[in-house]
Amino acid sequence: MNNRLKVLRAERNWTQAELAERLDVSRQTIVAIEKGKYDPSLPLAFKAARLFGMPIESIFQDEPSPD
Amino acid sequence: MSASENYCDKEKRNTKSIAVWTVLWLLSTAALGFGPKFIWDYHMLISLVLVWVNLFFGYKMVVANKQLLEDLDELQQKIMFLGMAFALGCTVVVATVLGLLEAIRLVDSAINPSTILFVTGITYLIGIAMAKRKYS
Repeated sequence: MNNRLKVLRAERNWTQAELAERLDVSRQTIVAIEKGKYDPSLPLAFKAARLFGMPIESIFQDEPSPD
Repeated sequence: MSASENYCDKEKRNTKSIAVWTVLWLLSTAALGFGPKFIWDYHMLISLVLVWVNLFFGYKMVVANKQLLEDLDELQQKIMFLGMAFALGCTVVVATVLGLLEAIRLVDSAINPSTILFVTGITYLIGIAMAKRKYS
Protein backbone atom coordinates (compact mmCIF):
# COMPACT_ATOMS: atom_id res chain seq x y z
CA MET A 1 0.00 0.00 0.00
CA ASN A 2 1.29 3.48 -0.88
CA ASN A 3 0.71 6.46 1.36
CA ARG A 4 1.26 10.22 1.42
CA LEU A 5 1.90 10.49 5.13
CA LYS A 6 5.42 11.87 4.73
CA VAL A 7 4.31 14.58 2.26
CA LEU A 8 1.32 15.61 4.37
CA ARG A 9 3.46 15.72 7.50
CA ALA A 10 6.12 17.83 5.73
CA GLU A 11 3.44 20.26 4.48
CA ARG A 12 2.49 20.92 8.09
CA ASN A 13 6.10 21.09 9.30
CA TRP A 14 5.52 18.31 11.79
CA THR A 15 8.29 16.02 12.92
CA GLN A 16 7.73 12.27 13.03
CA ALA A 17 7.59 12.51 16.82
CA GLU A 18 4.86 15.19 16.63
CA LEU A 19 2.79 13.14 14.22
CA ALA A 20 3.28 10.07 16.41
CA GLU A 21 2.02 12.04 19.42
CA ARG A 22 -1.03 13.32 17.52
CA LEU A 23 -1.89 9.78 16.39
CA ASP A 24 -1.02 8.31 19.82
CA VAL A 25 1.47 5.81 18.42
CA SER A 26 5.24 5.35 18.69
CA ARG A 27 7.65 7.18 16.38
CA GLN A 28 8.81 3.80 15.04
CA THR A 29 5.29 3.16 13.77
CA ILE A 30 5.30 6.45 11.84
CA VAL A 31 8.73 5.63 10.39
CA ALA A 32 7.54 2.16 9.30
CA ILE A 33 4.33 3.51 7.72
CA GLU A 34 6.17 6.29 5.87
CA LYS A 35 8.70 3.81 4.51
CA GLY A 36 5.90 1.50 3.40
CA LYS A 37 7.17 -1.29 5.62
CA TYR A 38 4.00 -1.44 7.65
CA ASP A 39 0.38 -0.95 6.60
CA PRO A 40 -1.69 0.65 9.37
CA SER A 41 -4.93 -0.86 10.62
CA LEU A 42 -8.20 0.65 9.42
CA PRO A 43 -8.81 2.52 12.74
CA LEU A 44 -5.35 4.09 12.57
CA ALA A 45 -5.78 4.99 8.90
CA PHE A 46 -9.12 6.67 9.72
CA LYS A 47 -7.49 8.49 12.61
CA ALA A 48 -4.82 9.83 10.24
CA ALA A 49 -7.54 10.85 7.76
CA ARG A 50 -9.38 12.76 10.51
CA LEU A 51 -6.14 14.42 11.63
CA PHE A 52 -5.30 15.63 8.13
CA GLY A 53 -8.95 16.42 7.33
CA MET A 54 -8.89 14.34 4.16
CA PRO A 55 -10.65 11.26 2.86
CA ILE A 56 -8.79 8.06 3.69
CA GLU A 57 -8.23 7.20 0.01
CA SER A 58 -6.40 10.51 -0.46
CA ILE A 59 -3.77 9.37 2.02
CA PHE A 60 -3.59 5.62 1.47
CA GLN A 61 -3.74 4.01 -1.96
CA ASP A 62 -3.84 0.34 -2.78
CA GLU A 63 -0.86 -0.81 -4.83
CA PRO A 64 -1.86 -2.34 -8.18
CA SER A 65 -1.16 -6.07 -8.30
CA PRO A 66 1.80 -7.06 -10.54
CA ASP A 67 -0.30 -9.28 -12.88
CA MET B 1 -4.25 6.49 34.64
CA SER B 2 -5.61 9.71 33.06
CA ALA B 3 -7.47 10.08 29.77
CA SER B 4 -5.06 12.77 28.56
CA GLU B 5 -2.05 10.50 29.04
CA ASN B 6 -0.14 10.22 25.75
CA TYR B 7 1.65 7.20 24.30
CA CYS B 8 5.05 8.06 25.83
CA ASP B 9 3.53 8.65 29.29
CA LYS B 10 1.77 5.29 29.14
CA GLU B 11 4.99 3.59 28.03
CA LYS B 12 6.96 5.16 30.89
CA ARG B 13 4.31 4.26 33.47
CA ASN B 14 4.06 0.66 32.27
CA THR B 15 7.85 0.22 32.07
CA LYS B 16 8.21 1.53 35.63
CA SER B 17 5.44 -0.74 36.86
CA ILE B 18 6.86 -3.86 35.25
CA ALA B 19 10.36 -3.01 36.51
CA VAL B 20 9.13 -2.64 40.11
CA TRP B 21 7.16 -5.91 40.13
CA THR B 22 9.94 -7.82 38.35
CA VAL B 23 12.53 -6.69 40.89
CA LEU B 24 10.22 -7.61 43.78
CA TRP B 25 9.51 -11.01 42.20
CA LEU B 26 13.23 -11.66 41.64
CA LEU B 27 14.08 -10.65 45.23
CA SER B 28 11.34 -12.89 46.66
CA THR B 29 12.49 -15.74 44.40
CA ALA B 30 16.05 -15.31 45.65
CA ALA B 31 14.81 -15.20 49.26
CA LEU B 32 12.79 -18.36 48.64
CA GLY B 33 15.78 -20.06 47.05
CA PHE B 34 18.39 -19.20 49.67
CA GLY B 35 16.45 -18.11 52.78
CA PRO B 36 15.36 -21.54 54.07
CA LYS B 37 18.92 -22.84 54.12
CA PHE B 38 20.86 -19.75 55.14
CA ILE B 39 18.46 -17.59 57.15
CA TRP B 40 15.46 -19.34 58.75
CA ASP B 41 16.58 -22.99 58.83
CA TYR B 42 13.70 -24.43 56.80
CA HIS B 43 11.00 -23.00 59.10
CA MET B 44 7.85 -24.20 57.31
CA LEU B 45 5.58 -21.23 58.12
CA ILE B 46 8.10 -18.64 56.91
CA SER B 47 8.73 -20.62 53.70
CA LEU B 48 4.99 -21.02 53.13
CA VAL B 49 4.37 -17.29 53.58
CA LEU B 50 7.20 -16.50 51.21
CA VAL B 51 5.80 -18.88 48.58
CA TRP B 52 2.53 -16.90 48.64
CA VAL B 53 4.39 -13.58 48.58
CA ASN B 54 6.40 -14.83 45.60
CA LEU B 55 3.24 -15.95 43.80
CA PHE B 56 1.61 -12.57 44.49
CA PHE B 57 4.60 -10.66 43.09
CA GLY B 58 4.62 -13.02 40.10
CA TYR B 59 0.92 -12.35 39.50
CA LYS B 60 1.47 -8.57 39.68
CA MET B 61 4.39 -8.91 37.25
CA VAL B 62 2.21 -10.81 34.77
CA VAL B 63 -0.59 -8.22 35.10
CA ALA B 64 1.92 -5.38 34.58
CA ASN B 65 3.25 -7.15 31.48
CA LYS B 66 -0.28 -7.60 30.13
CA GLN B 67 -1.01 -3.91 30.71
CA LEU B 68 2.20 -2.98 28.92
CA LEU B 69 1.21 -5.09 25.90
CA GLU B 70 -2.32 -3.67 25.84
CA ASP B 71 -1.06 -0.09 25.88
CA LEU B 72 1.43 -0.60 23.05
CA ASP B 73 0.46 0.65 19.60
CA GLU B 74 -0.44 -1.83 16.85
CA LEU B 75 3.06 -2.13 15.36
CA GLN B 76 4.74 -2.56 18.75
CA GLN B 77 2.15 -5.23 19.61
CA LYS B 78 2.96 -7.00 16.35
CA ILE B 79 6.69 -6.85 17.13
CA MET B 80 6.07 -8.36 20.57
CA PHE B 81 3.83 -11.01 19.01
CA LEU B 82 6.55 -11.99 16.51
CA GLY B 83 9.14 -12.10 19.30
CA MET B 84 6.92 -14.32 21.44
CA ALA B 85 6.11 -16.62 18.50
CA PHE B 86 9.82 -17.04 17.77
CA ALA B 87 10.60 -17.70 21.44
CA LEU B 88 7.77 -20.22 21.79
CA GLY B 89 8.79 -22.11 18.66
CA CYS B 90 12.46 -22.25 19.66
CA THR B 91 11.58 -23.28 23.21
CA VAL B 92 9.43 -26.19 22.00
CA VAL B 93 12.16 -27.40 19.63
CA VAL B 94 15.02 -27.03 22.12
CA ALA B 95 13.03 -28.44 25.07
CA THR B 96 12.07 -31.50 23.02
CA VAL B 97 15.68 -32.23 22.10
CA LEU B 98 16.96 -31.55 25.62
CA GLY B 99 14.25 -33.85 27.02
CA LEU B 100 15.48 -36.67 24.82
CA LEU B 101 19.20 -36.28 25.54
CA GLU B 102 19.12 -38.27 28.77
CA ALA B 103 16.84 -40.97 27.33
CA ILE B 104 19.17 -41.61 24.39
CA ARG B 105 22.18 -41.52 26.75
CA LEU B 106 23.94 -38.53 25.27
CA VAL B 107 24.08 -36.89 28.71
CA ASP B 108 24.27 -38.49 32.18
CA SER B 109 21.70 -36.40 34.06
CA ALA B 110 18.44 -34.63 33.27
CA ILE B 111 18.73 -31.09 31.90
CA ASN B 112 18.08 -28.34 34.45
CA PRO B 113 14.63 -26.75 33.76
CA SER B 114 16.20 -23.29 34.12
CA THR B 115 17.99 -23.99 30.83
CA ILE B 116 14.58 -23.83 29.12
CA LEU B 117 13.86 -20.45 30.73
CA PHE B 118 17.24 -19.23 29.51
CA VAL B 119 16.45 -20.39 25.94
CA THR B 120 13.04 -18.69 26.09
CA GLY B 121 14.51 -15.41 27.34
CA ILE B 122 17.34 -15.27 24.83
CA THR B 123 15.19 -16.28 21.83
CA TYR B 124 12.53 -13.73 22.87
CA LEU B 125 15.14 -10.96 22.78
CA ILE B 126 16.46 -12.22 19.43
CA GLY B 127 12.89 -12.41 18.04
CA ILE B 128 12.14 -8.84 19.16
CA ALA B 129 15.39 -7.59 17.62
CA MET B 130 14.62 -9.33 14.31
CA ALA B 131 11.07 -7.94 14.20
CA LYS B 132 12.25 -4.41 15.07
CA ARG B 133 14.81 -4.59 12.30
CA LYS B 134 12.16 -5.74 9.84
CA TYR B 135 10.02 -2.65 10.51
CA SER B 136 12.77 -0.04 10.91
